[in-house]
Amino acid sequence: MGERPVAFSTYRTMVRKEWLDYNGHMHDASYGVALSEANEELFATLGLSADYRASTGASFYTVECHIRYLAECSLGQRLSATTIMVAADAKRVRLYTELLHEDGRPAATGDSLYLHVDTTLGTTTAMPSDRQVRVQGMLSAHAGLQRPAHLGLGVGAARPGSTDT
Amino acid sequence: MTDDRVVGASEDSGPLHWSASTPVPAPLRLYRATVQPDWVDYNRHMSEWCYLLAFGDNADAFFRYIGIDERYRAAGHSLYTVETHLHHRREASEGDSLSMTLRVLDHDDKRVHIFHEMFLGDSDLLLASAEQLLVHVDTRAGRSASMPPNLAGHLEAIREAHAALAVPEVIGRPMRITRAYGRPG
Repeated sequence: MGERPVAFSTYRTMVRKEWLDYNGHMHDASYGVALSEANEELFATLGLSADYRASTGASFYTVECHIRYLAECSLGQRLSATTIMVAADAKRVRLYTELLHEDGRPAATGDSLYLHVDTTLGTTTAMPSDRQVRVQGMLSAHAGLQRPAHLGLGVGAARPGSTDT
Repeated sequence: MTDDRVVGASEDSGPLHWSASTPVPAPLRLYRATVQPDWVDYNRHMSEWCYLLAFGDNADAFFRYIGIDERYRAAGHSLYTVETHLHHRREASEGDSLSMTLRVLDHDDKRVHIFHEMFLGDSDLLLASAEQLLVHVDTRAGRSASMPPNLAGHLEAIREAHAALAVPEVIGRPMRITRAYGRPG
């Protein structure tokens, strides 16, 4: 079809009062809230969100999350997100998410690894085949998207010597 | 109004402060919390963002320990989080008691590299860990700034005391896929 690959980018939000810390800036944990809300929208389009959880008893658990804090956010500012599915198999999904200010500056990036878990048994389990097909469809669609150079580097590795922002 | 901002469970408890005459605990144990009713999801398990909240409160207790408090911040400097790498190990449930440790791995003129662990109560059951890089910032200029000598001195004394601890295997480890991600079928 020759379609240009596009990242998943439906998420829109506004910085909420309860997201602020004592300095009036967005709290570290609130960046995590926004990043996971954005990823939840991606899971929802794949049929892997709340309804899926309720009907199957399976859910995605976060096992790792690496957040880079890049810019402050203050009350009322509009944020959006773009997410790339970086890797996936029958039990795992890895998402790279950029949280963006209105002018396109990144506020934060998140690299998250999710495990598909049977919540009643408490063990990892493969997704049903129809969901695996959807996940692999998105993985293929995102394969042509450029990966940022810092993806998959450890803490501190992406910014040698300079932390000025 | 500040009544619905993000507030930690033990903000009012008496924080520990740096004392040159007291040996530095290795690791530091400065913060405990109880999983609050509004910290849990539909499963009554602690929500993901509350781990960040608890690690943030543990960092705040550490800041107070080394001398970064309201007065320090009001004078125009602070420590900002640059990166956080979380590892979730086990779930915590409403009412669980959480005890946190913190160690200083390294520091330079402007940056501090720390590692937190969260345990269930007084057990050695690891619930989660967080590796963080912090930067000392001139908050008015909005850029990084060298730390004053007394602060750098405290960090060096803590780093020395913590150098004896075994380095956790997750430190500096990038997120990775342990085996090739194959396609189904």
